[in-house]
Amino acid sequence: MTSDQQPLLEGHTISKYFGGLAAVNNVDFAIYRGEIVGLIGPNGSGKTTLFDCLSRLQNIDNGQVFFKGRDVTRARPYQVARMGLTRTFQSVRVYRKMTVLRNMLISHQWRDTSILRMLQPSHASTAARAHQLLDFLQIGHLADEEAGHLSGGQRRLLEIGMALMPDPDILLLDEATSGVNPTLIETIKDRIRTLNEQGKTFLLIEHNINFIADLCSRVYVLNYGEKLAEGTPQEILQNEAVIDAYFGA
Amino acid sequence: MATERNQKENEARVKRKPLISIPAPVDSLLAGWAGLALWLLLLLLLALYPYTGVSSVALFVGSQIFVLVTLASNWNLIGGMTGYVDFGHAVFFGIGAYIMGILVTGSPLLISPEWGFWQALPASGVAAALFALLIGLPTLRLKGPYFSIAMLGTLVAMREVARVLRPITGGGVGLNLPPLLNRLGDYYLMLAVMGLVVSIIWWIQRSEFGQSLIAIREDEIGAEMRGINTTLHKIVAFMIAAFFTGTVGGFWAWQNTYIDPDVVFVEARTVEMVMMSMLGGLGTVWGPPLGAVVIYFLQDLLWGSLFGVHLVALGVLLVVIVLFMPEGILGTLGDRSSTSLGRLLSRVGRSK
Repeated sequence: MTSDQQPLLEGHTISKYFGGLAAVNNVDFAIYRGEIVGLIGPNGSGKTTLFDCLSRLQNIDNGQVFFKGRDVTRARPYQVARMGLTRTFQSVRVYRKMTVLRNMLISHQWRDTSILRMLQPSHASTAARAHQLLDFLQIGHLADEEAGHLSGGQRRLLEIGMALMPDPDILLLDEATSGVNPTLIETIKDRIRTLNEQGKTFLLIEHNINFIADLCSRVYVLNYGEKLAEGTPQEILQNEAVIDAYFGA
Repeated sequence: MATERNQKENEARVKRKPLISIPAPVDSLLAGWAGLALWLLLLLLLALYPYTGVSSVALFVGSQIFVLVTLASNWNLIGGMTGYVDFGHAVFFGIGAYIMGILVTGSPLLISPEWGFWQALPASGVAAALFALLIGLPTLRLKGPYFSIAMLGTLVAMREVARVLRPITGGGVGLNLPPLLNRLGDYYLMLAVMGLVVSIIWWIQRSEFGQSLIAIREDEIGAEMRGINTTLHKIVAFMIAAFFTGTVGGFWAWQNTYIDPDVVFVEARTVEMVMMSMLGGLGTVWGPPLGAVVIYFLQDLLWGSLFGVHLVALGVLLVVIVLFMPEGILGTLGDRSSTSLGRLLSRVGRSK
């Protein structure tokens, strides 16, 4: 990553307050195309709130967010999603009453928002892409199952698949390995690596430090809503302030 | 730990299985083109019904059932599919009725000459749709019971507005429309409107637009985060539902030849729409029409056999249905698009 390259996603002095509590306080960051960046910190450090601010689920009290060079500080969530920023959630959000395939199809349809398109069923090519992604995530055999019937780990994979359906530029994954068994964690890790090689950019919130160390080129650390440190995983793991705050040493 | 969780999930899966499942071919038959073909066949048979020499009373009953099916299907579009339980939907019926009354009588607005029925009928629908746009922009921001109460308040407020605007609406005295009896015409008109509305709902549900509405119902935040313009979708669905409800209101005013605020802006009409949709299967295409027909004949049956306590009996029966078949007839039979009123009203807790 070179500093002369324009960041894909950039935040300037982002702050978010809940009453008197500064959940995120003056956080600056920049993510470049093709990177896998980690975001770590103790519980309550503001990681998910920052994700919510970036994906526009939460309004920002101060600061600015730029995506692909455009100011999206006041954009609606569906607008940044359409620009190519998709995300997953700490507690998985899938449409539980729909089939796995339908979940995937519905996450893609805004690629063409003409009225004529909206009045038709999903296109066959969309279904083909959905099946391809489900196979890639190793849940292809569950396509006709109701999403609410899947296990926690399978739902995580489905949610990642849904975020991938519109072929986004960047994926924000919020604790993608939480509640997932070790085998599936390896699958997720492998898939993220493959997608990154294909050009996808990732911002990952994780508590699983090995996962972060294996995948990420850079890591940001938050503590009490403030940026505590940034650097390579090796630098972060040796940073005394991080060890003190995060690992409780 | 993980094994224990898997075991619990498996148990939950078993619990979620419907009591009776529609055999897959029947399920897909109803959902696909064959479902529409069966519907069109039914419409054709109903169109031939007057030629069997039936009385004008039978035609009147037919048109009343068509009105109920249309109202239930319309309510289902916003209440069942989009998940916004509208307890004040009768407000659009009332607006449609009043627009018809005002335009065909002419005198309140000094319209000369007065509008004819065929001019006033679409105007009833358009007025209701515009009102839906106006009221939907603020109210559709509310979730779960808050939206329901806001719409109930709108209904009550509009009833008072109709009462107060005496020079235009006739106030509490109401409006008398020209008495023109045409049972056969009414029958065919409402058959056409019902046929159109249910076909549109069928089309919507299989379209990307309809699937987006269901996504909004299932998880509005998730839908917005995945690129769906939820505000636009909700408003469009609300306006479509209001347009046809207003049209039916206009027709009803014409057929009834008299309207006043207590007759058209009445909570019971919304309750009727909710009950019918709920009984048939909220969020399904064929559930509300089925629920409307069942409730109409059930009322008739109970009135004939338990006169005096027939309303109590109907109430008890509905409570039993809600308790034991929360997803309605089609939901109990395994229709995946169905949902329950309880789920919809608990949406407030899932908004973030």
